[in-house]
Amino acid sequence: MVDFGFGLVPSSRINLDLFDREKFEALAALEPDVRKCMACGSCAAVCTAGKFVRTSVRDAIEELFNAHPDKALDLLKSCQLCGKCTMVCPRGINTRHLILSIAKIYGTK
Amino acid sequence: MTPLYILPLQTAPEVIDRIPSGYSNFVIPFVVGISFMLIWLTVGLFRLMAKIPARDRRRLWKSFFIPKIALKNIRDLFCDCLFHTKIWKRKPLLGYMHSAIAFGWFMLIVLGHLEVALFVPKHLAWTDGGLFYPIFYRFFVWINPGHVSLRGWFFFFLMDFFLLYVLTGVGMAIFKRFRSIVLGMRHTTKPSLADRIALYSLWLIFPLRLLAESFTADLSGGSFLTVPVNMLWHWIFGNNLYFMPVWWAYSICLGLFFAAMPFSRYMHILTEVLWILLRNAGLQPSHPRKGVAEAEIYACSSCGLCLDACPMNVQKKNLKYSSVYFIRFLRRHNEKKINDIADKCLMCDKCHALCPVGVDAPALRRAQRATVNDSLCYDYSYLQNRVPAPEANDIVNVATGISDAPEVMYFAGCMTHLTPRIIKSVEKVFKAASVNYVFADRDGGICCGRPLMLAGKTSAARETISANRKMILDSGCRTLVLSCPICYKIFKDEYNLKGIEVLHYTQYIKRLVEQGRLKLSSCDERLVYHDPCELGRGCGVYEEPRKVLSQVGTLVPAAKEGDESICCGGSLGSLTLDARDRAKITESSLVNLVANNPQTIVTACPLCLMTFSGPALDTVSHNSGEEATDVKVKDFAEVISQRV
Amino acid sequence: MKNNILIIGGGPAGLEAASGLQRLGYNVILIERSSMLGGHLASWDRLFPDGVSARGTLKGLLAQMDGVKCFTDTEVRSINRLEKSYNVILSNGITVLADAVLVASGFDLFKAEKKEEYGYGIYDHVVTNADLEAWFNAGPDSDTRIDKPKRIGFVHCVGSRDEKSGCRSCSKVCCATAVKQACEMKQAFPDAQVYCFYMDLRMFGRHYEDLYLSAQKDYSVRFIRGRVAEVSENVDGSLLVKAEDTVAGKPLKVTLDLLVLMAGMRPSAAGKRVGKLLEMPMEEDGFFAVRDGILAGQRSGLPGVFLAGAATGPKTLPETVAEARAAVVEIDRYLSDIFPNVKNYKTLVRERW
Repeated sequence: MVDFGFGLVPSSRINLDLFDREKFEALAALEPDVRKCMACGSCAAVCTAGKFVRTSVRDAIEELFNAHPDKALDLLKSCQLCGKCTMVCPRGINTRHLILSIAKIYGTK
Repeated sequence: MTPLYILPLQTAPEVIDRIPSGYSNFVIPFVVGISFMLIWLTVGLFRLMAKIPARDRRRLWKSFFIPKIALKNIRDLFCDCLFHTKIWKRKPLLGYMHSAIAFGWFMLIVLGHLEVALFVPKHLAWTDGGLFYPIFYRFFVWINPGHVSLRGWFFFFLMDFFLLYVLTGVGMAIFKRFRSIVLGMRHTTKPSLADRIALYSLWLIFPLRLLAESFTADLSGGSFLTVPVNMLWHWIFGNNLYFMPVWWAYSICLGLFFAAMPFSRYMHILTEVLWILLRNAGLQPSHPRKGVAEAEIYACSSCGLCLDACPMNVQKKNLKYSSVYFIRFLRRHNEKKINDIADKCLMCDKCHALCPVGVDAPALRRAQRATVNDSLCYDYSYLQNRVPAPEANDIVNVATGISDAPEVMYFAGCMTHLTPRIIKSVEKVFKAASVNYVFADRDGGICCGRPLMLAGKTSAARETISANRKMILDSGCRTLVLSCPICYKIFKDEYNLKGIEVLHYTQYIKRLVEQGRLKLSSCDERLVYHDPCELGRGCGVYEEPRKVLSQVGTLVPAAKEGDESICCGGSLGSLTLDARDRAKITESSLVNLVANNPQTIVTACPLCLMTFSGPALDTVSHNSGEEATDVKVKDFAEVISQRV
Repeated sequence: MKNNILIIGGGPAGLEAASGLQRLGYNVILIERSSMLGGHLASWDRLFPDGVSARGTLKGLLAQMDGVKCFTDTEVRSINRLEKSYNVILSNGITVLADAVLVASGFDLFKAEKKEEYGYGIYDHVVTNADLEAWFNAGPDSDTRIDKPKRIGFVHCVGSRDEKSGCRSCSKVCCATAVKQACEMKQAFPDAQVYCFYMDLRMFGRHYEDLYLSAQKDYSVRFIRGRVAEVSENVDGSLLVKAEDTVAGKPLKVTLDLLVLMAGMRPSAAGKRVGKLLEMPMEEDGFFAVRDGILAGQRSGLPGVFLAGAATGPKTLPETVAEARAAVVEIDRYLSDIFPNVKNYKTLVRERW
C-alpha cells in the first residue's frame, strides 16, 4: 500500500467517533443543562479571566463534544468562578457549576 | 402512719434515711443509663480534644484565666444553655418552653444535690450512692413530722415550683408536636429513631417524677404540687400506697433517656458547653469534621429554628437541605447527602444568625466543599503578568485638575460591570462631592476571590487575593470603597490591607454626607431598604444605609429586615440551585419587601439589583393586585445620585 | 338586524379584518386604545424586505374602512358572555352586544432597560429598533443619542431567546429588521462602519436572504456571530462593546458611537388585561393560545372569540394581514352557522339571486 504519511501526522479533522459518551453522560447527570448550550458566546464575552488568557465555557463544551477534553480543561483552568457567565447565559445554564463539574469529571486524578 | 424510728424529741433530726442501706434495686436502670452516657461523653471528649492542634489546646486552657473570656463563658453558659435568651428574643413562647425544660431541670438537679448536702451530707459520697441519691432523694428520706424547719419548707416549695415549671415546658413541647405554629415555628425537625426514644422518655420523666414524688410526699415531704396529689392517691387507694412501680418507671425512663442520649439530638445539653468554651476562646475549625468542628456539630440541638430561617424552604421540597439535616448527616457520615446539601446552600447565613447555639453551618458547608473542590486543578500564572497601575488619566481630581495620588480607590467588582447604573451613579456622587478617586477596574479587573472561597477553592482564592492586594497596596490610596458587599466582606476580612480603610459605598456616602461634602434633597418617595446577606449578616452593616436613606425619602420597614432579611435568591453561594427554585425565593423576598407598600425597593448590592429587577418582579407586581402601581427597584447610589 | 362584530385593536390586523367584514355586510365596531389607528405600523418608516413605505401601507389599510365604526381612546371596561353573544361595556360608556369578538391586541416591545448590561437609558448612545424607526421618520436631529455616528452596532435578540429576560422564544422579525436597519443606517451615514452581532440569522421569508446578501455586498455590513454580553461607556461617551466572535473562537471588543438594540416582541399588556376579563386561554409566555396551530389558527379556545395578528405570537406584517383575512372567513362561517336567519349583505345578495 502507498503511504502518504497520514499515519505519522495526526489529522486536524475533528473525529466525532472518539467522543466519550459515557463521561459526557456523567457530566450531564451532574448538570443536565449542558446540552442546552447554543454557543452564543456571552460567557466568553463577559469572562473576568478572559481579559488575560483565553477562557471560554462555550468553547470548552464544544471541545468536549469534539473529543478534546484536554483542550476543554485548558480553556477552563484560569476561571475565577466570578459568576458573570452564569448571570448572562440566555439559556439559563448554571455555568459556574458546570465548570466545577467538568473539572471533577474530566480532571486528571 | 407509723414512723419507722422513734427518737427523743430534743435530738430529732429533720431528715432521716428511710432506707438504711441507702440503696434500692430500682436505681439500676438509671445508673446503667447515666454511666453509659458519661463514659461515652468522656471518651468522645478525649478523642475530640486529641484532634485539636496542641497550640489551640493551650490557647483554650489559657482562655479560662483571661477575665473577659471567663466572664463571657459564664454569661453564655447561663444565657444560652439555661435561659435560652436568644430564643426568647425572637419567639418568646418557644423560649419559655426551652428554658423551662433546661433551666427547670438544671435547678431540680442542683437543688437536689443541695438538699442532700444540707440534710444528709454523707450520701454525697460516691461510695454512699452519690450518683443516684440526690436524684431519688424523695424516695430515700423520711421527714420527721413536726421537725421541719423553715429552710426545709423552703426546699419543698422550690422543688415543687421547679417541677411545675418543667412540666409546663413539657406540656408545651408535646403541644408543639401537633400545632407548632402556635409557638412560632412553621416547620419542625423530623426526629430520627434515637431522637424519638429520647424524646418520649424525656416527656415521661417529669410526669413520672411528679407521680413518684407525690406517692411518697407524706413520707418525704412536699409542697403545693405533690401534697395535694398525694392526698388524691390516699383518697383513691386508701392508707397503704405501693409506690415501688412508679419509682421503677421513673428510673427506667431516666435510664432510657440517658442511654439514647449519645445517639440523639439531646447530647447537645453537654456538648454545647464545650462548644461555647471553644468558641469564646476564639478557636476556629482546622479540619472540616474533627476537633472544633466536631464540637460544633454535636452542639446542634436539632431545635429546627433553621428550618423556618432558610429562604429555600419557601418550597417544602427543599426542607431536606436545611442546616439541621446537614448536621445530622455529618454525624452519620452519609457522604453523598453531605455533598448534596453542602453544594445547594445559598450561604445567606440566616441559619447561623438565628441559631440559638451559634452553630455556623454555612462555614461547615464551605469546609466540606473545600474537601472536594480545593484539589481541582487550576492555573493562575497569568496573574503574575501584572495589571499595570491605573493610568494617569483615570485619576480625577475635580478641584485642582492636577494629577496626584488619589485619596480613594473605587473597586467596582465583577458583578457591578453588569449593572452599569451603579457605576454611573457612584461616579456622579463622587464628582458631586469632589472626591479624589481612581476607578481601579474601569476596564475590568481580577475577581476579589470571595466566590472562589464560597466554592471551597481556598488555595485559588489566595492567589487572586495576593494579586489584588499588591495592586491596591501599590496604588497609594488610603481608602478603598466597594460597591459590592461580596467584595467588601472579603476585602475587610481576608485581605489584611494595612493602613487602608476598607468601606462599603453606603458607609462612605454616609461619611460624605456627615462631612458636609454631599448635600441631599429630600422628597416623600416611599422607600424600603433590602439588607443584602453579605452586607447585613455578613458584615453587620445595617444602620448606615438607613440613616442616609431616611434623609432622602420616607423609609418604610419590610415585614422582616435586619438580620432576618430574606435572601434575594441570586447568591453566588449556591452551586447547584436551579433558576426555578431561585425565582421562588426571589418572589418570597419581594413579597416580604412590599409588605408596607413602598414605591421603590433600594438595594446596596449589584447581584440583588439584578435579581430583583428580573422576571420575578413582574410576577409579584401582577399578583399584588390589578391597580397596584409597579414597584421600582433602584440601587442605593442611584437613589442618592438622583438627590444630590 | 345585522350581526355585530367587535374588533379589539386598531392595528394592521384589526384594520384589515374590519374592512373585510364590513364588505361582507356585517356591522363592525373597532376600538383602539390609543388616539391613532395603525398600531406600531404608524410609527415605522420603511418595511422589509423591499423597503416599501410604512405610511403608504397604512394608508392602504385605512382606505377601505368606510362604514366601520371606529372608536379611538377606548378600552373594554367589562365583558360578559350571554347565551350566544358578548355584552361588552366600553370605557366611553357605549354598550355593544357583540355576536363575535376579534382580539387583535397586537404586541408590546420588550423594555430594553431591563437588559441593564446594555445600558439603555443609562448610556448616552444606546437606542432600540423602535427609536431608530422613529428617528428615520422624524429626521436627523430628532434624537440626541444619534449624533453622526461613525461606528454603529446592532444587537440581535434583546429580550428574546433569553431566560434572563423571561422570554425563551424567538421574536421572529428582529433579524430581518436589523439587517434592514443596518442597510438604512449605511444609506444615512455612508462613511460609517456597521456591525451586526447575532446568534442566528433568521432570514426565512421571501427576499430576506437577498436582503442579507445585499447588506454584506452593497453596504459592507459586518456580521459577527456572537452575542453582546456587556457594554461599558468610555469617558468620551463612546461605547465599549464586548462580545465573542464564536466563529473565530476569540473574545472581541470594539468601540462604537451608536448601539441599536433589537427589542423583541412581548404580549401586549393591555391585551392581557382584556384576555383576563374574557378568561382567554394563554400560553406560558403570555400570548393567546389558538385552538389549533395549523387548521384553526384564528380561533381562540372560547366560542365566538377570534384572534388575529401578533396577539398570538410574533408575526411579520404579511402574515398579520393574511391572518386578518383568514379571521374574516372564520367569523363569517361562524356567524352563518350560529345565526342562520340574520340578514347580512351576503344573505341579501343570495336572496336577490
